[in-house]
Amino acid sequence: MSSFHNLQELRHSASLANKVFIQRDYSEGTTCRFQTKFPSELESRIERTLFEDTVKTLNNFYAEAEKIGGQSYLEGCLACATAYLIFLCMETRYEKVLKKIAKYIQEQNEKIYAPRGLLITDPIERGMRVIEISIYEDRGSSGSSSGSSSVSDSTAR
Amino acid sequence: MPSFSGGVVGGGVGGPASAPPRPFRPSRYVPVSAATTFLVGSTTLFFCFTCPWLTENISSVIPIYVAVIFLFTLANFCMATFMDPGVFPRAEEDEDKEDDFRAPLYKTVEIRNIQVRMKWCGTCRFYRPPRCSHCSVCDNCVEDFDHHCPWVNNCIGRRNYRYFFLFLLSLTTHIMDVFGFGLVYVLHHPQELDTPHAAVTMAVMCVAGLFFVPVAGLTGFHIVLVARGRTTNEQVTGKFRGGVNPFTRGCWRNISHVLCSPQAPRYMGRWWNRHAVEIQPPFLRPALTEAQLEAKILDNGIQNDRHSTRSKSSLDQMESQSADMEAPPPPKPDFRYPGLPRADTEASSLLSEAPPTPLMYKYRPAYSSPGKNHAAVTHPNKMTRGESLDSQSPSILQSSRQPSYRSEPSSLDGATVVGRGVGVRRGGGDRGEGPGGPGGIAAVVSGGVSGYSLTGRSYTSYPSSLVLSAGGSRSSSLRSAQTVHNPLATLQSEGTTDTSYKSLANQTPRNGSLSYDSLLTPSESPEFESAAHELSPLRPHAPLPSPAGSGRPGAASPGSPLQGYTSPFLSAQIAQQREGQLLQGSTTFSSPHRAYLRAVSPPPSSPPGPPEAQHLLHHNQNPTSRIPRNPSSSSSSPGARSLDPPVSPPPRGLSLSKSPVHIGETGSRHKPRPAGLGAVLGGGGVGGGQQAPQSTSRPVLANHTTSKPVGGVKKVTGVGGTTYEISV
Repeated sequence: MSSFHNLQELRHSASLANKVFIQRDYSEGTTCRFQTKFPSELESRIERTLFEDTVKTLNNFYAEAEKIGGQSYLEGCLACATAYLIFLCMETRYEKVLKKIAKYIQEQNEKIYAPRGLLITDPIERGMRVIEISIYEDRGSSGSSSGSSSVSDSTAR
Repeated sequence: MPSFSGGVVGGGVGGPASAPPRPFRPSRYVPVSAATTFLVGSTTLFFCFTCPWLTENISSVIPIYVAVIFLFTLANFCMATFMDPGVFPRAEEDEDKEDDFRAPLYKTVEIRNIQVRMKWCGTCRFYRPPRCSHCSVCDNCVEDFDHHCPWVNNCIGRRNYRYFFLFLLSLTTHIMDVFGFGLVYVLHHPQELDTPHAAVTMAVMCVAGLFFVPVAGLTGFHIVLVARGRTTNEQVTGKFRGGVNPFTRGCWRNISHVLCSPQAPRYMGRWWNRHAVEIQPPFLRPALTEAQLEAKILDNGIQNDRHSTRSKSSLDQMESQSADMEAPPPPKPDFRYPGLPRADTEASSLLSEAPPTPLMYKYRPAYSSPGKNHAAVTHPNKMTRGESLDSQSPSILQSSRQPSYRSEPSSLDGATVVGRGVGVRRGGGDRGEGPGGPGGIAAVVSGGVSGYSLTGRSYTSYPSSLVLSAGGSRSSSLRSAQTVHNPLATLQSEGTTDTSYKSLANQTPRNGSLSYDSLLTPSESPEFESAAHELSPLRPHAPLPSPAGSGRPGAASPGSPLQGYTSPFLSAQIAQQREGQLLQGSTTFSSPHRAYLRAVSPPPSSPPGPPEAQHLLHHNQNPTSRIPRNPSSSSSSPGARSLDPPVSPPPRGLSLSKSPVHIGETGSRHKPRPAGLGAVLGGGGVGGGQQAPQSTSRPVLANHTTSKPVGGVKKVTGVGGTTYEISV
């Protein structure tokens, strides 16, 4: 039947085409911030506003994690008082924020980036030096030859 | 749980690339073992022999107090010893995409308006973030590297500096306590000094006294460092000796940063919870506006939308001549993503992939203007490309800032293309290359294009203007193009500061002594030799403008320093003079350099090189200086610059609003083509005189040659035209 299609034909596969690295923005010192400039490789892949929102949100997360304030001070005092044994039981504030960030990135990937063939890698995996965005390309359908043969078979029939 | 980062295998499970296992070296553990022995042993002896008497006769609080201090010391000691100082995982292969042989050794970044250099780490394969340094003992890059402490057998970095500092403070206190209470004991038992208790007490006092001097000295040193916001590494290497420390926030905030900041996370040994995200085509694509589509089709680079606005009147004329002009070829069909102009994928992929002619993309923005003029003719109602321009220019620059750092010309093909582009342009008429030029030379273009692949795909969108070649010998254009490339390359890399290359760093990862002699690689010397050839015939034609010469310290006569790279300054002179002389309109070759500077390149009456180079040097600092020069351009000598392109290479941050000024001034005579070039140039700011060569403005330019570089940093064009900064 001409209407028969091998499922294999229809499956498109994505392959990694390129990686974009969003570098750190050191203009305010060594606090963790990433550049919000829109890389040109992503021009045709994603809207600028979406990208900038993502990076700005990440920057806010990191700023919150590194904030020197009451909570960090208390945490330090508590750690001193317990001879740092508290680190065995409790998660530091930074780690908590990192978990939030990981969740956020996961959600962004699922909702926004994966549908556009992009994938954000958590910067912590790169030592917080870069945000790595992988760009995938549609490799086209696999098994196209089998498709044609099946079509020809069906026509021959 | 702090991970032990001593002599055993570094890195953890399930983490990123980690250091290879290091051999077990027992000698590394001698100091830390000795320190531990002394600390624990002496305190134990104190508690056993001295404390009982003190408890009974002085106060019972004493042992409690001493015990608390001792535990605090021990805890900090353990944290300093066992905690990961902030080791960076090795970068993955993908991050270091560019050719090692070309990428610069240093990358400059601006922190609070102070230029800081980031050095390439050959072992870890990334540019070290500010304050990061590679520890040769641990063989790791450490964040906020302070020093490697043998007494704890660990690097002191961002994560454990606080504990090290508290360890020093508490140890000093503990030593003082032990010594003091021992002294009290001895003073109360003057006749019993031969008893074991007294003897032990005196022995403990000796040890304490002996260690007190260096420990207290080190503690005082670190108190000063903390107050100043410096690391030991910075203090010892004298990084901020004469200058400003960009990392300091004031004494109080520095102290609170050390003591109260949140515990930084470790990068090694993390468990990555990787939830697989399925990436399945078809992919969504952002909707492009009509303007963006047109812009992408017609020009791949940085656009100067002033051209389009100004071209309103000129467009009519252009259109009238459009009959002669070949319509721009349609964008290559993109089979994968129909409906999307191919040009933009080219643009993006050019910047992201390593092209066969890598330099090409650096010059793309420059050549976009010819194409743009081309487009202007055929698309009269041009959208404002300002938006795409603004978006593209910083993005292009930024993406160029990313891994693909190049400071050298890496392909002759690109160079050739550049050269050809220039030559043809010259053939254009009054309006610049626009109407007449490309059309007339279309044939040549096609011939030229076939010769080589431009980054693997031909630039059909702005075809001819780039590829047009007229006259000039190919080899000479290559040479000149190579020199031209350098400034642009450096511009693109945003002020790379050194002409050393990553490849050299990778070969000698921990040897910081890369001399300029090492730059005499075979790939470079021919370039310079050819430059020498260029210079020598040009010399008679090239009277260096005196203002330029005066403004340039130690300006060397052209050609003379080419015998050897005796000094970077000389090389810088050579590069600039060479480029200057390239502009002198030798008819023997069409210089791509000139292509940048003038659409039609009749030999300028005086070489714009050095003064323009100077101008470019201070370009970033004096963006407004360009405007005053414009009025003078209209009085240029006939034929000298029929195309003084109103190039306003927007330096970083400089908006393209300047270009209208230029265009307005010189509009009647020029095609605003090199606006794109300007944008490219603006990226780095310093180049080999790629400035708008308005000869009449040269005297004005010369005025800028003497302007001082900002921030005590001298920008010099070095070997191959690479710019680098020497902090003064």
